[in-house]
Formats: sequence, structure tokens, C-alpha cells
Amino acid sequence: MTCWRTMLYHGSRCLLGAIFCYAGLVKALDVVAFAGSVANYQVLPYQLNFLVAALLPYVELAAGVLLLLGRQVRPAVLLIAGMNAVFMVALLSVILRGLDIDCGCFRPGGEGHTSAQMALLRDAGIMLLALVTWLGAGRRNG
Amino acid sequence: MSKEFKGRALWQDLQGALLIALLAVVVGLAVNSQLLWRVLSGQTLNSVTTSVDGSTETILPLPVELAEVRELQDSTTVLIDARSQTAFAEGHLPAARSLPRGEEVAGVGALQAEVPLSTPLIVYCSGYDCSDSFALAEILITAGYQQVRIFEGGFPEWRDAGLPVEGAQP
Repeated sequence: MTCWRTMLYHGSRCLLGAIFCYAGLVKALDVVAFAGSVANYQVLPYQLNFLVAALLPYVELAAGVLLLLGRQVRPAVLLIAGMNAVFMVALLSVILRGLDIDCGCFRPGGEGHTSAQMALLRDAGIMLLALVTWLGAGRRNG
Repeated sequence: MSKEFKGRALWQDLQGALLIALLAVVVGLAVNSQLLWRVLSGQTLNSVTTSVDGSTETILPLPVELAEVRELQDSTTVLIDARSQTAFAEGHLPAARSLPRGEEVAGVGALQAEVPLSTPLIVYCSGYDCSDSFALAEILITAGYQQVRIFEGGFPEWRDAGLPVEGAQP
């Protein structure tokens, strides 16, 4: 792998890892607020919002930590891409239903307001990072 | 790299991803077991839990659905509208009391003077995108009310269901 490709791989891996570590941590620290953010999507029954809010941050955190450590990179990227795809479908449904909610992606219950359109754009960027990391990890293994 | 090898590698990566997710779910369940138990059993969400050192408290208002709000309408349950007084004046749930978020210092005092702490309360605001009902419910629980629930659908869900509304409707 050439030098710039190695740098691109490590850069995208670390950035992706840091994003998901941060996202997982802030949600894990305030599960109830995150449950409220999940409920805003009006997709799940009330109790299931809490279940998602209690479990999802730890999946994000685990995948993020593994990426930062450079361990199990391809499985972690797969996991992140899978979660991101689900987030994108949820955001798309929010846009189609005309709901004006905060995406709750990073600071559940916080002051900021990130529209579904902006969040969808950001998730597209994350998907691109995941693709770059996946390809980089593939080359290193292959 | 042969196609067969690639396929096998992808399968192994998928298995790895599932294993990571499974382990994370186990950790999440372990860390949040008490919270999840209360939520999923739907029993004592608004109970106050104290940590081992006795310093931390977790207060969670119980959720309530539209159908149950309708059933409880004629009971002793008191409906609390957490929206602004202007929004309240424009239309609110029948027999609801206005207690706008931001004016709770005086409002809760007045409520305590008239409504016993044992009375069940249902707090609502402007729907799923509104957090005032949740915040006010927490304040009411802290003030001593033992049965505080939040109607997340709030006024919009009630109105859109075609149910009677009090106040000046357009």
C-alpha cells in the first residue's frame, strides 16, 4: 500500500472510531434523554425506545474503540456501516413524514438542533469514511 | 485473492461484527438492567432509586398513551398542560390545568396547595418533539407527587384524534 493510501486508511479509521466513541459515550451517559430522542422518530413503541437507547450506545462505543485500537477493523466497519444504514433509513422516513425533530445523533436532549436533512448528509459522509476504511483494511489484509 | 476466499473472509467479518454487537448488547443490558426492568415491566418508572452511597437519585416519569388518557379523563387524575399560557388559551385538553414550563416555581406551589401529592398527574405539551412535559414531570416528582405520567403525543395527538378540546379554537 502506498504512503498516501496508508495515511488515508489510518486517518479515516481513527476519525470514524473517534466519531462513534464520542456518539456512544454521550448517549450512554444519558440513556433517558437518548430514549426521548429515539421516541421523537415515532417508529417504535415507547418501551422499545428505552431498549434501543440502552443498547445502541454500547454497540457504537465498542465499534469505535476497536477502530481506534486498530483491532477487528473490518468487522467493526461492517457494524458501523450497518448501523449507519439503519440511521439513514430512519432519517429518510422522518423527512418523508415531514417531522421537524432533532436527529439526536450526538447530544440527546441537548440545546442544538440538527435537522434530518443535515444528519442524512453527515451519515452519507460517515458511510464514505466507512467505505474508505473498509477498502484500506482489505488491502492491508490482502 | 479468489472469490471463494473473499466470500469466506466476508463471512468471517460478518461473524466478527455480530460477536462485537452481541458483547456490546450484553454490556448495555448489564449496565442498564435496572432502568430496563422498570421501563419494560411498566411498573414503577417514577420511583426514586438511591445508589449504594445514598447520594444519587434517578427520576423517571411513567409514559401514558392516548387511549389511557381518555379513560383516565373522568377519574381523579389531573391533567397538566406544560405549554405556554397563550397556547393553553388557544386550546387544551378538557379540565387541564396550565402550568407552563418556566413558571413552575410559582405554579408547583399553587398546585401543591390545591392538589394532594397522592393525586395522579398526567403532564403533556406539544407532542413528541417537545421535552417540556418530561422536564416538568421530573420537577413534579421532585416536589413530592408520587404518580406523575407523561402523555408524549400531547395536545397535537389529542386534537388530531378528533377529541373534544377546551379553549378558543380557530
